Amino acid sequence: MTTRHELDRSISTWLQAEAPDRAPDDVLEASRERLRHTRQRRAWMPAWRYSPLNNLAKAAVAAAVVLVVGFAGYQLLPRTGGVGGQPTVAPSPTPSLLARGTFTALDGWADVEIDATGGGSDVSGRLVATAQTGTFTIDLECARSTADGLLWIGGDVTASTDTTYALQGSRTAIVFKRGTPAQAVFVFQINDPRSASCLAFFDDMLKIDDPTGALRPIEGTVELAP
Amino acid sequence: VARTELVRRARDGDRDAYDILITESIDAMYRVARLILRDYDRASDAVQEALVSCWRDLPHLRDPERFDAWRNRILLRAITEEARRRRRDAVVLSVIPIGSHPDASAALADRDELARVFGRLSVEHRTIVVLHHYLGMTADEAASTIGIPVGTAKSRLHYATEALRAALDADARAAKGRVSA
Repeated sequence: MTTRHELDRSISTWLQAEAPDRAPDDVLEASRERLRHTRQRRAWMPAWRYSPLNNLAKAAVAAAVVLVVGFAGYQLLPRTGGVGGQPTVAPSPTPSLLARGTFTALDGWADVEIDATGGGSDVSGRLVATAQTGTFTIDLECARSTADGLLWIGGDVTASTDTTYALQGSRTAIVFKRGTPAQAVFVFQINDPRSASCLAFFDDMLKIDDPTGALRPIEGTVELAP
Repeated sequence: VARTELVRRARDGDRDAYDILITESIDAMYRVARLILRDYDRASDAVQEALVSCWRDLPHLRDPERFDAWRNRILLRAITEEARRRRRDAVVLSVIPIGSHPDASAALADRDELARVFGRLSVEHRTIVVLHHYLGMTADEAASTIGIPVGTAKSRLHYATEALRAALDADARAAKGRVSA
């Protein structure tokens, strides 16, 4: 009968002999080729979600933050009329414009189209995103500007094929930061009790974490309320 | 540049830093994949998939010093997926190395028998054997790497080790019979 020590030694010795010395060159080359066309998934999940220090997060709203990137906020639009631009000196087509634009978010994670008017708890409009995890639509309901220059626009996911982040019926928001380029981030309420209202969702999220660090520039244009 | 700094840079999107990391890592990853999957093409596919997944998800890695363990988990997932994907047309290959052997006392017959029995184990059992006997992980470490309970890891290791023991013992008995005949 083979002793345990002999057995362990035999198996280890055999595995060492079986293992190839190195990977074939074509594996590295093929990997490099695939990597050339692969983008990173940016940090959609904020660190707090996994932080053992943040017990509040467990008790409160679990949300995932998705950064949305975009080039050229309204500041980049030409001052005079031209192809693809609007004169910034002219009055806005709708006085209560909140956000309007088409851009790519998260280094290609999602193509986003947003058209929203109003403010406070009286927002109307829609955001449609075609993301890597699915397509979803948010019926926008509320908005808030914060002292640090962020514009939160939230609502309910009314249609979605995304079962990872934008769950149908959940509260979701997009947060913009004005600038050149403009920046944005998605905030998803995933697996915790639904916030009492659209505006309460913003408060619940802010109790957990500040999304500022997750903001990313967008590619495209978005016109935001002043 | 320190390895953790390379990981940090890669996490921030530096493709050159990631290229250095994968150049350093690919041989070790391929060895593990090849041992578990027992097939060149499947091992190559699993390693490629793991390298792409690592790059894609690297921004989620919080502690750069845990890169190797994190990468191993992703590799094992890719290996398991690859094994499942091709289970129907799986062909178990028994590769007997040619050339020098680190332990000259190990008989070729032993190796042949080990290869045969090892190849018949499930991918889950082969995985635990490779982690424990090749990478030198304890059952606890292997359980953590695979993402299974420690008890399950120990059970799998026990089953696989006993299967390999039986193979060696059977081979030893056969050899003795041949000598005495």
